[in-house]
Amino acid sequence: MEKRAMIEIQRLGKSFRIAGGKRHVALEGIDLNIREGEFVSILGPSGCGKSTLLYMLGGFVPPSSGSIQVQGRPVTGPGPDRGPVFQEFALFPWKTVLGNVMYGLRQQGVGKREARERAMALLHKVNLASYADFYPKELSGGMRQRVAIARTLAYDPATLLMDEPFGALDAHTRTVLQNELLQIWERDRKTVMFVTHGVDEAVFLSDRVVVMTRSPGRIRTVVDIDLPRPRVRAELLVDRRYQEYVVELERLIEDVHHERDAEPAPAPVAKTTLKVATR
Amino acid sequence: MSAQAILQRLGAPLTVLVLLTLWELAARALALDGFPTATESLAQLPAILFDGQSLQSIGASLARMFAGIGLALLVAVPAGLAMGRNPTLARMLNPLLSAAYPVPKAALMPMVMLWFGVGDLSKILVIFLGVSLPLLYHSYHGAARLDDKLLWSAAAMGMRAPARLLRITLPGALPEVLLGCRVGLAMALIVMISSEMIARQSGAGDLLFNALDMALYPDVYAMIVILAALGFALDWAFEHLRLRLVHWAEPRQDAASGGNS
Repeated sequence: MEKRAMIEIQRLGKSFRIAGGKRHVALEGIDLNIREGEFVSILGPSGCGKSTLLYMLGGFVPPSSGSIQVQGRPVTGPGPDRGPVFQEFALFPWKTVLGNVMYGLRQQGVGKREARERAMALLHKVNLASYADFYPKELSGGMRQRVAIARTLAYDPATLLMDEPFGALDAHTRTVLQNELLQIWERDRKTVMFVTHGVDEAVFLSDRVVVMTRSPGRIRTVVDIDLPRPRVRAELLVDRRYQEYVVELERLIEDVHHERDAEPAPAPVAKTTLKVATR
Repeated sequence: MSAQAILQRLGAPLTVLVLLTLWELAARALALDGFPTATESLAQLPAILFDGQSLQSIGASLARMFAGIGLALLVAVPAGLAMGRNPTLARMLNPLLSAAYPVPKAALMPMVMLWFGVGDLSKILVIFLGVSLPLLYHSYHGAARLDDKLLWSAAAMGMRAPARLLRITLPGALPEVLLGCRVGLAMALIVMISSEMIARQSGAGDLLFNALDMALYPDVYAMIVILAALGFALDWAFEHLRLRLVHWAEPRQDAASGGNS
């Protein structure tokens, strides 16, 4: 049974004004539909605009062209239906762990006592209940990211927008958090957009992997990851299909890297003339 | 206790003692009319500190100073935070800020007096101006340096822009804002005294410069000692308050910077 599209992205583009009055095209012609409950990774080299894509989906950054619809409604700004998790954690440093996790609930008008109970329940789930009264600066990177994930899960967004959430963590912590994220996801099946440049991570977590080209970022190809769930890392690592996906994606990424010096994709005619006119 | 531990604990009083001794020796050696010895000057302290009128005068100074600081907090902090989050506003106000910074605020006193008289209002306004600039500057930088993602996280929770300024930008920029307050506090003391030098009526500056006019040099120096002690006490108290307010802050807030694509 086909689930309806949770997120519909059409002809989405983003360009920035840079020094000298020129425009830098970060993203161009992005078409992508994400189904409800789907785990989609966006894989690409640095500078391909994959984070920008996520920021536009979150409503933090307005698109230059095209449209994004979430549950049939155009995105006009941030909202609690789309919860972000950032690489830099972005915890409120003046709030304790508990205060951070309660923050969104309180903002949604949940009473203090109930918010506290729900936040504590979540902290138990991410094994941080004994750190409830700590401040973010007293925690390790992995613990901070657990708090950040709990803070976002607390207000129960239908979609999680994860921007290289494990990119700043050491290899071991990253693996632990990937496992925890999968457990959480397999339990409540939120729609997830996961930006990463890690091939293993993308294959391990995702239903689909979207491979981006270099700047200007476009969708190079979309790879369906047809691996059984629940996924267990130890089993996957020796699974041929898993290995083949990794190799295929590594090759694609390699190709994208080598396209660096190839001629840039032709810009739409209207933009070229505009550039000349402003000179 | 080791020698180092003793030195660490007694370091500051020791410095004061050495300075007082040097002052005493220099004054005795020079034997100038306008340079009283430390003992002569310190002997005047009880006369000033136990005199109701002097105390009232110093109290009036402090009241004006705190009024000026309070006004500056109410105006300059929100303005600086708004500038920090709004590049257009920052571009409009930055030249004004750069131009106003080096102007000695006490020099504006005669003009302000023309409009608002020689009373408290003029002095409070000049103190307000003096405190506002460092406060504006530091609030601006604190807000501008704040990670967008803190504000985005709050926006995703459904918090609107005006609330974000108060509940995210203000606490996020607080460590820097409080640094501005510390500079502002020192500035307030300076402007407080110089405003009273120009418009004499009451206050610590009035006491000081009247003593100078009457060639009561030990009194002048005693007043300087009182003002220095006041500055020290205010700074000490403020540092305690500051550390209580921002105990959560990391030594460097921008430590967790990451790649961005």
